[in-house]
Formats: sequence, C-alpha cells, structure tokens
Amino acid sequence: MESRAVITRKQNTVERGETRARRSLYWQYVVEPFVYLSPSIILIGAVMLMPLIIGISYSFQSIELLRPFNTGWIGFENYAKLWADRKFWIALENTFWWTFWSITLQFFLGLGLAMLLNTHFFGKKLFQALVFLPWAVPTFLSALTWAWLFNPVIGPLPHWLTALGILSEPYNILGDPDLALWGPIAANVWFGVPFFAITLLAALQSIPGDMYEAAEIDGASAWQTFTKITLPFLAPMIAITVMLRTIWIANFADLIYVMTGGGPANSTQIISSYIFTTAFRRLDFGYASAIAVVLLILLMIYAVILLVIRKKLVKV
Amino acid sequence: MARIELKNIAKSYGTVEVLRNIDLDIQDGEFVVLVGPSGCGKSTLLRMIAGLEPITSGAFEIDGKRMNDVRPRDRDIAMVFQSYALYPHMDVARNMGFSMEIRRDAAEMRKSRVAEAGKTLGLSKLLRRLPKELSGGQRQRVAMGRAIIRDPRAFLFDEPLSNLDAALRVEMRLEIARLHQKLKATMIYVTHDQVEALTLADRIVVLDSGDIQQVGSPLDLYERPANKFVAQFIGSPTMNVVPVSAASGGVILADGTFLALPHLDDTGLAVELGIRPEHIDVVDPDADALAAVADVVEHLGSDTNIYALVEGLGPIMVRVHGNIPAKPGDRLGLRIQAPNAHVFSADGRTLQRDMTGAA
Repeated sequence: MESRAVITRKQNTVERGETRARRSLYWQYVVEPFVYLSPSIILIGAVMLMPLIIGISYSFQSIELLRPFNTGWIGFENYAKLWADRKFWIALENTFWWTFWSITLQFFLGLGLAMLLNTHFFGKKLFQALVFLPWAVPTFLSALTWAWLFNPVIGPLPHWLTALGILSEPYNILGDPDLALWGPIAANVWFGVPFFAITLLAALQSIPGDMYEAAEIDGASAWQTFTKITLPFLAPMIAITVMLRTIWIANFADLIYVMTGGGPANSTQIISSYIFTTAFRRLDFGYASAIAVVLLILLMIYAVILLVIRKKLVKV
Repeated sequence: MARIELKNIAKSYGTVEVLRNIDLDIQDGEFVVLVGPSGCGKSTLLRMIAGLEPITSGAFEIDGKRMNDVRPRDRDIAMVFQSYALYPHMDVARNMGFSMEIRRDAAEMRKSRVAEAGKTLGLSKLLRRLPKELSGGQRQRVAMGRAIIRDPRAFLFDEPLSNLDAALRVEMRLEIARLHQKLKATMIYVTHDQVEALTLADRIVVLDSGDIQQVGSPLDLYERPANKFVAQFIGSPTMNVVPVSAASGGVILADGTFLALPHLDDTGLAVELGIRPEHIDVVDPDADALAAVADVVEHLGSDTNIYALVEGLGPIMVRVHGNIPAKPGDRLGLRIQAPNAHVFSADGRTLQRDMTGAA
C-alpha cells in the first residue's frame, strides 16, 4: 500500500513540476527510514541520550539542593574547582589502583580457574558449581561478610595475616589508611573471579581440539602451546571481558561503600563513590556531574585504546 | 625414513575393545593405506601411531625401537588431519614453518624451507594469506606443506581428501602420489574410499570392526579377497553375492543351474557365490544361460551398468565394457565367468584356489 502511494505520487509530480518530485524523493530516502526507526530512536533518546545530555549540562551549572536560590549556569567553574580539589585527585589515584589490582587479580585467578576447569578431574562438576557461587551472592551481603572477616574481634583474617607475618599484630586493615583499599579489593577479587572463569572457560572450550593435536605433533611444549595457540584464541574474549570489567569495576562503589564508606580519611574513596557522596550526601549535583563527566571521558579513552589494541591482536 | 612395526596392538576404551590383534610390518618408504567402513578403528589406529591415543597393549616400534610411551613430539612423525587443523591466526608461511618455529630454527633457514615447500605445492603467491582466505584445496596443500617441511620419518594422512569436491580429490590424489614418489618416505594413509586406496597404495590393510581382514597389494585384494567382507568392500560396483549349494566340482545356483568351478579344489563348504559385475557376460536371451530381465540400465559411456533380475536368483548387477543398446525391460542372457568366481563358506571365508593371499 505504502509503496504504491509513493509511486503514484511520483508519477503525478512528473507532470506537475519538479519541486514536488524532489520533495517526494526527499521523503522517500531521507524521512521515511527514520519513521520506521522512530520507536527505537525515541526509546534510546528517552532513556539514554536525554539523561546524558541533562547530566552533562548539570556539570556546567550550580545545582545544590542546600542552596536552592543559587542555581544557574556557571560555565567551567565546577571543572576549575575539580582541578584544585585534592580529594578528587586522591579518588582518581584510588580508582586507578582499585581497578588495576581488582582486574589483574581477577583476570589471572579467573584464567587459572578456567584452565583448571577445562581439564578432567574427579568432582569437577561440584567444584565448578562452587567456583561460580560468589557471582550469585548479593554484593551487599558479600561486602558485609568481608567487612566482618577483616574485623579482628569476629573474623579470622587479621589473625591469619599476623600468623603469616604480613601484619605485625591482628588489627582491622579497613581502619588503616595505608591498607584499607586492600579490603574491598580482596572482596572484589573473590566476587569477580567467577565472571572471568565462566567467560574464559567458554572461550577455552571453543578452541578446536585438533589445534592442540597438531601443535603436539609439531613438537610444541606445554608453554609454547599456551602462548602460540591458547592465548591467540583467547585474545578476543580477553580484550572484551577486560574492557567490560574495567568499566564496571571503576564504577563499582557498592563494596567500598558498605565496607569502608570511603574512609578512613578518604583512603578508599574512588571516583564513583565520591560522585555518590557528593550528589547524595552533600546534595551538590552540579559538582557531582562534573566528576561524572570526567570519569566518562577517562573510561571512553580507555575503551578506545583497548579496542585499537584488540584490532591489532586479533586476526581470527 | 622409517620402518614401522605394529606387534599385536590392541586398543580399548574401558571395556569396549575397538582394535585387536593388529600385526603390521610397514617397510621403509612404503605407502600403506588403511581402509574400512566408518567405525572400523582405522583412524584410531593412525592416532595411536601418531601418539595422540595411548596404546592399550602390544608393541609399537619405529626402526626397531619401542615407541609406545614416547610423546608425539618425540616420534618425529608428521600428520595431515582430515580437518587440516591449520592455525587460523597464523598466515600460510607461519603455519607451514610452525614446527621450525617451535624448534627455534634460524629465521632465514625457516624462510627458505617454507619458500621451497611453497613452490613444490604451488603456494608461493599465498604465503601471506590467512587460512580463512584460502579455498579447500589450498588449505589441504598448506596442511601437506606443514608436514613435508619437517622432513619427518613418516607421514600420516587421516582422510585428507574427504572434505574436497570430486574433481579436486582426483587432483590432490595425484599430488599425494607424486609427493610419495619424490620423497620416498614411509606413508600411512587412512581412507574409507576404496578408489583412493587402490590408486595410492603399495599395500592395503582392510579393517572391519577392529580386526585386520586382509593385507595385500591392490590387485591381491581384488583378485584374491580373503573373505566375503573384503570381496564386497573392494571393487566398484560391489561384487554380487548369491546363495548356492555345494556340489562336487562346482556349485548349484538357487535356480538349479550347475556351475562348474574346476579351479577350486573343494567346494564342499560353499554356501555363497561371489561374482564381480564385470565378470558376467551378456549373451543372447535364448542361449544356454541365466535368463534375466534388465531393471535399470546406466550408460556411463565407457561402461554400461545393468541391474538385472534373474529368475530364481534375484537382482544381479552386470557391468559391460563399452556401450550396449540395452534398455529396461529387455530380456538378457547372463553367463558367469567361472574362473573369476569366488566361493564363500558359511563363516564368510573364501574357499581358496591356492594359498597365496590367505589371511
């Protein structure tokens, strides 16, 4: 029906003049496709683009709920304040170490587990189920449990660490500004290893068995097989999962917020928990938006770099 | 170059026995083809020689040295896989030179060997391509290049041509034959295709359900099959087998015809007669011969295949050289060439005319 109408109109316009013809072509090739796309465009616009634009616009405004009469456009003032904010720089550094150690330990432990699970041994099914269990525990619960584990009054960890000679005496590392970040990192590693184990196990299982047989006949040692066959096959999956997890972890303030609340003395404050505190404790939405925009830009740069590296590495 | 000996090899998975009593002595430079229907254990046997499957019992020796528990990488055997097993993330040159890369041979040496092998196989222009950018035949060549570049003691081929189309298969078959003539290496080749077996092999090993049925030259197997299985497996179209009853000096066919078989010493145990389609003559329908009616006629140009229904005997296939003007429904007379007939006992053994070729 629709297309017949268009054709009819075209035939009419040839007789009447070229402006109508041009308009109908314009309609057919430029406007019409967007009409069909409009439901998804409207949806994406409403739930993603609008909030993003509004959020970015907040970062150029002064919006403090405690000073409701001081609202208005202030240009780059929030960013200037950010540049001079010592707490922001501490949070940025903490975000880096938090993300770096979490992702590194999660990845290598996850890879190890995946390779272990890719072999055959007695009780594998049970072990597999246990490995994936942390993923199913609510963050909130695991954060509370880990906080208790680090508490020397009820938890065993400080005593074990002391017995191993890592701590001089059993005290709560969550209260030590130099060590506090390691508490949430430990919880996060425990929590995040299953993700890497699951995804890397899936990737490992998709490597054809005859690759290993061919390599074995070609004379490759176990290490050569790993570096020359396994790793290249895993590379695409590694790149994607590391990128996704980095973004998640950099934004992942739940564990920190429950375990240390950013303290002591901001030693565990990361950018996303700082955003949360600024927005919902100090009710300064303008400043919080400015921090969020900076975090967004940093993560986008990171993602672009990783995608470029992926493209160079991955040939399959 | 190597002599490979299998002494009483057996293989079982748990309680399931897939191979037993495998005795085979493969001479240096020999081209041996393992052939059999799918599931007969031929690929398993090849993988045991390669070291990819453990040997359950028996002795496997290369040049007189026991190799049962030697790792694949130390056996110095190259293998061409059915799937080719090319490394998808490496280009053709690196795929072919992978074994040298593993051995950490000098880069220039690797390069010149790869170039040389590439030239032999007509891959010179493709060295920088990835496997996914190659056609099936080219991949097959790369897989062969990877094997020859190592200059191994023996080559193993696991149904290397089964993923190619018919024309390419003939071409690659010739290539493999040429390769064997050039390298004069010991080669063991697994296939379910008897044409590949008959054309390539110095010796064919026919396997069925885990047992060696017969070992012999292609002509041996064709002319003197040890049993009914080999008789029907080797040769195309398949040999006709009809029930008979024993009589002195020959056999009696189901329709009552007496067929004299003077070349057989003793037909007393005969229960079946085997005759190849090309060993039946078509004669005048009114002559003293088996009366038959043509059911389906296939004109192949060089040959004519006739699926005939013989009174009292059932379907018989006849292959006549040249083009004869037969059509479905025609009455025919069929005459069996008695000297080429095979007679089988109740347990499937061939009642031999002499002892050569007996299993």
